Amino acid sequence: MRPSWWLRLFAALGFVVLLAPGALVALISISAGDFLTFPPPGFSLRWYRALLSNGTLMSALGTSALLAAIVSVLALLLGGPAAYAIARLEFPGRGMLEAMLSAPLLLPTLVLGLGLLLVLQPLGLAATWPGLVLGHCLVAIPFAVRIMTTAFATVPKELEAAAWTLGATPLQAALRITLPNAAPGAVAAAVLTFLVSFDETVISLFLVGPRLTTLPVEMFRYAERTTDPLIAALAMSLIVFAVLMVALVERLLGLTRAMGK
Amino acid sequence: MTMAVAHLRLAGLVRHYAGSPSAAVDGISLDLPRGALLALLGPSGCGKTTTLRIIAGLEVPDSGTIQVAGRDVTTLPPHQRQMGVVFQSYALFPHMSASGNVAFGLEMRGISRAERARRAQAALEMVGLGALGARKPRQLSGGQQQRVALARALAIEPDLLLLDEPLSALDAKLREGVRDEIRALQQRLGTTTVFVTHDQTEALAMADLVAVMNAGRIEQLAAPEEIFERPATRFVATFVGRAARLRGQLESGGVLRCGGAALRSTTALPPGPAEAFLRPHRVRLLRPGQAPPPGYDNTLDAQLLRRVYTGEIVVLEADTAAGPLTAEMHADGEEGWHGLAPGDALRLAFRPADLAVFRAS
Amino acid sequence: MTGWLLAAPALAVLAVAFLWPMAGLFRISLNRTTETGAMEAALTTESYAKLLGDSFTAELAWNTLLLAGSSAAVATVLALPVALMVRAASPRWRGLLALLGIAPLLVSATARLVGWMAILGDQGLINAMLMGSGLRDTPLPLINNWTGVRIGLVESLMPYAVLVLIAGLGRLDPRLEEAAATLGAGRARTFLRVTLPLAAPALLAAWLLTLVLGLSSFITPRLMGGGRVFVMATEIYDLALEYVDWPGAAALAMLLLGALVLLMLLRAVTTRGAGRRA
Repeated sequence: MRPSWWLRLFAALGFVVLLAPGALVALISISAGDFLTFPPPGFSLRWYRALLSNGTLMSALGTSALLAAIVSVLALLLGGPAAYAIARLEFPGRGMLEAMLSAPLLLPTLVLGLGLLLVLQPLGLAATWPGLVLGHCLVAIPFAVRIMTTAFATVPKELEAAAWTLGATPLQAALRITLPNAAPGAVAAAVLTFLVSFDETVISLFLVGPRLTTLPVEMFRYAERTTDPLIAALAMSLIVFAVLMVALVERLLGLTRAMGK
Repeated sequence: MTMAVAHLRLAGLVRHYAGSPSAAVDGISLDLPRGALLALLGPSGCGKTTTLRIIAGLEVPDSGTIQVAGRDVTTLPPHQRQMGVVFQSYALFPHMSASGNVAFGLEMRGISRAERARRAQAALEMVGLGALGARKPRQLSGGQQQRVALARALAIEPDLLLLDEPLSALDAKLREGVRDEIRALQQRLGTTTVFVTHDQTEALAMADLVAVMNAGRIEQLAAPEEIFERPATRFVATFVGRAARLRGQLESGGVLRCGGAALRSTTALPPGPAEAFLRPHRVRLLRPGQAPPPGYDNTLDAQLLRRVYTGEIVVLEADTAAGPLTAEMHADGEEGWHGLAPGDALRLAFRPADLAVFRAS
Repeated sequence: MTGWLLAAPALAVLAVAFLWPMAGLFRISLNRTTETGAMEAALTTESYAKLLGDSFTAELAWNTLLLAGSSAAVATVLALPVALMVRAASPRWRGLLALLGIAPLLVSATARLVGWMAILGDQGLINAMLMGSGLRDTPLPLINNWTGVRIGLVESLMPYAVLVLIAGLGRLDPRLEEAAATLGAGRARTFLRVTLPLAAPALLAAWLLTLVLGLSSFITPRLMGGGRVFVMATEIYDLALEYVDWPGAAALAMLLLGALVLLMLLRAVTTRGAGRRA
């Protein structure tokens, strides 16, 4: 049945709510004014230039990019084998393993971050690279396991069975047959895990310090203090980055499939 | 004189799935001579695919043994079994070319690159795809994919070729041709083959031996003609081919009293309640009062209920003293079905040996 | 056993990053905060007693529940037409619409809230329109209060509701509605008598999920509340980092966690029921 006009109207309202902030960020980021004023008094790229010359934010950007790269590689290396086990092998306690590996995603990051602070601070590991990497792995590994499980599960089991009958050992079949066919899923997992770490704010709030801080934390603190178009320029840059990453994933295997379970 | 040694011997295979009350495979035993083609025929869920997977080593039986050429392979993992399997979905590796797929098994056996390429090419040529080795599976039609899967399974020169519903994914038009090609190839190579199907025509047309399976057991293991002409059980009589069912009381001398009729049969069953199955194409159509041909000792006066014309075949459904019966004949045969209309009187005749009689359940 | 071996590295990291901090959190919630504000190792429920005896905690809990419950409800209701539209769209559009529906999930929360500030602020889009058209002389306070927090939270919860509803509605055969139409039901009646009852389990699941997420939301109340909106999450943060009362923060976090676990059990029970019906 064709959707009725009422449905179209209400759906449009829903999409407006979902997409309006992004649209406004785009508009305000090129404002020439000094505040988040609407309508903008004029248009300029001055806030993007200001952003590029903001040392605190730029060094935080460097930290976040490096952190996200480390975390996504770690999450894939650690989570990939676990995901393979969940998607492919039959063993006692498989359901329990799956539940254990997704448990951190069920709990609020605020509580996770607080817990990490309370145990890492006494050891002097708060506001250090190992502490931040550990904190980000906490959400990145379950996320990577989830996407990789889907990726492995979409490769038909029969392919491995066929490889066995042709003389491949289980390890050969996993490496030669399943892994290459799950590769797009692995790339999607890497990209999405990178984004998860790159955007992670709450856990980081507990684990950063004056000398080691991430972009989302600095952005959050900036937005707490002042609201000028600089923050909109930063927000817009992050949105464009996320859109590019998502478009990449969508091309590779379809985002809805990667997220869904 | 050489003794016919079984090439494949299954003995007492049982496989239970956790959470299922009945066994998927419930005591399968059979011997298959070298070079023969066995069809496992049965409805879905009868355990035929599980049996095939057990033979391939993809499932482990709870009990029972599998011997190939006198060697017990029950505990061997699939990659050490030397069996070529064609999966229902073909399971071609999507990231490899057709020749890459065919060469994979040879590579696993440590055969040199040049030799692999030569043998993969030979296998592809054998199935008529010599020119398409560089294509990826998704660039091939369903029929071509099926042949690549067959070439891949045969390239390793398997002790046993296993085919799981290999024709089910093909168009009906393609199916007959591929069926005959597989059979010709199998006979030429002399590869002992087990073939799973739910399609009786496929099974009868291709196999040297047919095992009709039901509920995890073999109901009858015999040559195709035997299965069709002399079904051993009620299940085989109804699953393979069509048959009208007559219920009645068996009296001494093989006489089945059925409604108002007494029908002669060749059964040796003792007297008691019984049911009989009669294939429609064995029933001859006569004019009322016409004498039956020699041997057609059972005659029944009937009234036509329905006439179904399907082009090559005409089916007549008629009411008789023994119950409703179906007669089937070639549309251009000599029997005078033309002009018959519902309500017309006619006469049906069949031979005693055409009645398959079983004890009533 | 190979399975557990393959998962061992991931499990080991999660044990260090998850089990240990959670155990530490519980242990520290039993410590004592002295008069001077220093932490003293102890085994006492003092922090819990202090929190539960304080009427501010009750107010916090009530405010948190009210905010999360209402925002989750509005988010679910707004997500329903979006999910229905995704389901009704032609295959060509379905992927794009679904992607737009969940896109905010992939954009940092702070970035989106900056957009809401530009919409709801005193000089923002809405107030500019209200004052420009002469409907109001002074800006309508839409930010730095509960209204702003609620709007921001609705938007950040909506993508989750859309995801749950798309999954839940996807299992419903669209021919059911066509059947209702052929039986003479109009659009409205088809929606009320066929679509809505069938979507009810998915709606409940969406509300419960967004409720759980809303209860622990921190960034939205913090940024949109402008320091004037207090919920359990902001209080936990302040206790831990502003007042450095670790036992107090840990105890409040444990209380929040207890409430969430209860809700998640409820959700597991109801969604399992929905699975049986589907």
